[in-house]
Amino acid sequence: MSAPPSRPPGDDPEERDPGLARERTSLAWLRTALSFAALGGVVLKVNLLTGLLVLAVAPVVWQLGRVSRGDVPGSAAPGSALPAVGATRLFFIALSVVAVALLSLVIAIFGQSVPGALR
Amino acid sequence: MSWSKRLSALLPMTVVKDNGGTEPDPRFTFANERTFLAWSRTALALVVAGLGIVQLLPPFPRVPAGRHLLGLPLIALGAVLAVTAYAEWVRSQRALRRGEPLPQSVLPWILAATITTVAVIAAVVLLVSALR
Repeated sequence: MSAPPSRPPGDDPEERDPGLARERTSLAWLRTALSFAALGGVVLKVNLLTGLLVLAVAPVVWQLGRVSRGDVPGSAAPGSALPAVGATRLFFIALSVVAVALLSLVIAIFGQSVPGALR
Repeated sequence: MSWSKRLSALLPMTVVKDNGGTEPDPRFTFANERTFLAWSRTALALVVAGLGIVQLLPPFPRVPAGRHLLGLPLIALGAVLAVTAYAEWVRSQRALRRGEPLPQSVLPWILAATITTVAVIAAVVLLVSALR
């Protein structure tokens, strides 16, 4: 397997511009950050402190996504083909989801239900 | 392979040291990363749904534990999904580096089983609360 520039460009736009893949990935990071923010909003309704904690994860995820965009010093330059692959970033996401799920479990089991919050 | 070895193989320090094979086409690396992120969002959606059911829904008549029966499995499986998605990302990246066929993913199976189970529980809870 070789990097795209070493092959003749085909019909696939990706072949000519791998930056599209980078952009899609950057958008995926943004959506993930928004998902954390949305969950934070729900938790906020139930438990203020935990909600703020979950909300605080969102900008961190967004910042981690910048590494994929390549505009962080020390990572791959915006024009270059190779991204800096960070297992640590993805590990952080997985850990955050588990932590948030555990917090939610605690809230769900011990928290005071607020059935009127939807109305 | 023992469980502790399997777990330590997932730690980022171990993953970064994996230099077998060659660096894959960056588009494949990006695609693998996006797949992981999409599963993470799915996991977060399960957690939101579970928390919403337990905390925001009015209780089911005559089934006081109904909301917890529905919500707690959703939240727990959100956590399971996130860890599995990360493990699959590690496995796929490993296969990509070595030019091997991508391993079969167990994530769709987990998600389908979760949704089926919760749907069955929901049907039972609704029936019991309506009939009794």
